Amino acid sequence: MWISMGPQHPMTHGLWTLKVKVDGETIVDADPELGYLHRSVEKMGERRKYFMNTTLTDRLCYASSTTWTHCYALSVEELMDVEVPQRAQYIRTIMLELQRLASHLMWAGAYMPDLGHITGALYFWRDRELFLNLLELPSGSRLLYNYIRIGGVKRDLPDGFEEKTERILKLFEQRLDEYADLFENSKIFRMRTEDVGKFTASQAQNLGITGPNLRGCGTKFDLREHDTYEIYEEIDWEIQTREAGPGYGDCFSRYMVRIDEMRESISIIRDCFKKMPSGPTMASNVPVRATGEAFRRTEDPRGEALMYVVGDGSDRPYRWKIKSPMFTTISACPYYLKGYKVADIPAIMGSIDICIGETDK
Amino acid sequence: MEIKSFMQKLSSHKGITEVGLIRKSVVKFNLEKEGSKDFFIRLKDDFGFEHCSLISAIDNQPQFELVYHFSAINGSVFVKDSSAAVMAEIHIFLERDTPTVDSISDLWFGANWHEREAFDLMGIYFIGHPDLRRVLLPEGFAGHPLRKDYVYEIHEEEW
Amino acid sequence: MDMSSKRIRGNPNLRKGLGSKTTDSDKIMEDPPAGDWLALRSDQLLKWIDDAVYNVAETTGMREVVDRVTRPIFNYAQRFSPHPLHFGIMCCAIEMGQASAPDHDIDRLGLVYRSSPRQCDVLIVNGPVCEKLRPKLKTLYEQMPEPKWVIAMGECAISGGPYWDSYSVVAGADTFMPVDVYIPGCPVRPEALMHGFLTLQKKIREKEPGMFLRR
Repeated sequence: MWISMGPQHPMTHGLWTLKVKVDGETIVDADPELGYLHRSVEKMGERRKYFMNTTLTDRLCYASSTTWTHCYALSVEELMDVEVPQRAQYIRTIMLELQRLASHLMWAGAYMPDLGHITGALYFWRDRELFLNLLELPSGSRLLYNYIRIGGVKRDLPDGFEEKTERILKLFEQRLDEYADLFENSKIFRMRTEDVGKFTASQAQNLGITGPNLRGCGTKFDLREHDTYEIYEEIDWEIQTREAGPGYGDCFSRYMVRIDEMRESISIIRDCFKKMPSGPTMASNVPVRATGEAFRRTEDPRGEALMYVVGDGSDRPYRWKIKSPMFTTISACPYYLKGYKVADIPAIMGSIDICIGETDK
Repeated sequence: MEIKSFMQKLSSHKGITEVGLIRKSVVKFNLEKEGSKDFFIRLKDDFGFEHCSLISAIDNQPQFELVYHFSAINGSVFVKDSSAAVMAEIHIFLERDTPTVDSISDLWFGANWHEREAFDLMGIYFIGHPDLRRVLLPEGFAGHPLRKDYVYEIHEEEW
Repeated sequence: MDMSSKRIRGNPNLRKGLGSKTTDSDKIMEDPPAGDWLALRSDQLLKWIDDAVYNVAETTGMREVVDRVTRPIFNYAQRFSPHPLHFGIMCCAIEMGQASAPDHDIDRLGLVYRSSPRQCDVLIVNGPVCEKLRPKLKTLYEQMPEPKWVIAMGECAISGGPYWDSYSVVAGADTFMPVDVYIPGCPVRPEALMHGFLTLQKKIREKEPGMFLRR
């Protein structure tokens, strides 16, 4: 019997349909369907000039919009051969890590009601509000910033930004310790997430899964180190991994990887502020036309984001291809849903951290 | 193995027309359409590229171009004195009236939906794909929108 | 570079009438025979109740008495408990979720999100509507019982927004369903969403009869 969890469903974070074939209560097969949010961003990008496309890339993944604009800016800078000044690279790193914190908090706040822990949403979204207010100070907007531009950033950080950030990070660190006690020591949370949604690391690599989902299986692979960009080489940080058993990961290990990544982001931001030099925040000679092709990939909070841009000598892109990590992860859902019960679906699909805006382009 | 020896070993494969190095850790190949599947089997089994990152389709009037990106996550191919993961970028050119190529979705499952999307938006047929149908557009949609000769109307608001 | 697309003027006829009663869905179901009330849609059920009960109350004069007593109470209840549908499309849905977070707390206006459209009053359209989504959204709207309202939240729902020149985005939610409140913004701030709900309250107070027996 096929059950359809249609586009309007409180469990599916975003608009997509999941059809599962059940035998009693056990899942036998799954068939996902996307496309309810297809806005043809790639075709629209060919009608606009290079610098105008940053408004479109912001709206690709709405939970972590800075990373997509950043990926686009990196690939166009590689195409046009533009060098970004040092201070701009530090500011970009700070914004990316603050965005990673906000995105993981959004995920955690949406994951808790799936497991029945509705108060968890209130805790995590209260903290997300702190980071949205911080991100609003340089860019002017809470959610879709348009702050990272081709060649640098739009304007310098405002006065007093470092003190405000330090105050909020100190407050947030104490709260993370509270949450460790509230969620990880909760027996019901452990029962619902341990030994559920297991897949091995080699399976995950063939299925196209990247990011925290792959690091939850114990693979030490993070694009900030293995395909480095900005100033991650000059900062002391470590890749966070966790395994549920020898070479495989379950929902609880993916949850713990993201919590550990949040702690690591806090230390990266503090390190950036210590080492940031002064100087210009925008490259001085960004060209308007470009020829050739280039691609860059970055570590989105959900996985590997890749943008491939082709220029033909005019001031608009000839072809622009977006790769989203969730596109392949959702396509692989029959593999990690088979054998579990229908009541496990919210726990498993929630731990994958879906954002449909980037998959449907 | 080191990236230079990887480049040398594969550039003698049948069908490779051009080899280059982008950015010290990305190797670029131009491949012929016929017999492309053997190259991909060799890339996966002998050299350990187990992650299929992206399959893009480009409409260079008058021909189509397919660009494949793969990466070696486990470090079977590496760059000396660097922790960068090696990537392979492969270009295949197709004629406009026969846009068909062998499917690689039985080697990498991650390529399954990328090929469906290339079919949906650009109209390239993958021979041997288990389930080639539209993924992003509704089922009754006519045409392949990302082609350069696709005509559509833009509605302007009357204020 | 040839863009291979044409610009045409928008269709003014679509704006008039706002597409509220689509003629094709009326033709699908004929009026059932009297007494077969299990097959009625929500507006047809109300029409049947109207004919049976309302006319009796009108002729005996009971309607005026009942109106005067119940109208303020029911209108008050409708205004202060709009139950929206748990439905999020894009970025404005994140701000809708953030509005129910402790900092803004839209719950104090009486909003309780319900998962099933059969238990809802308000449908918030918070993102661009694609061609694939349009029939499902119309079905959701028709599944909601009367009285119901629609809020178009954000630029994408009002007119297509930044996706006005896309081949698969519908130019606004009001091309296929009637919209009561428009909230501009991209994305809409939570304070603006609260102001939108207060505007809806004002509209309900002035426009909705709120009577026990309605025509």
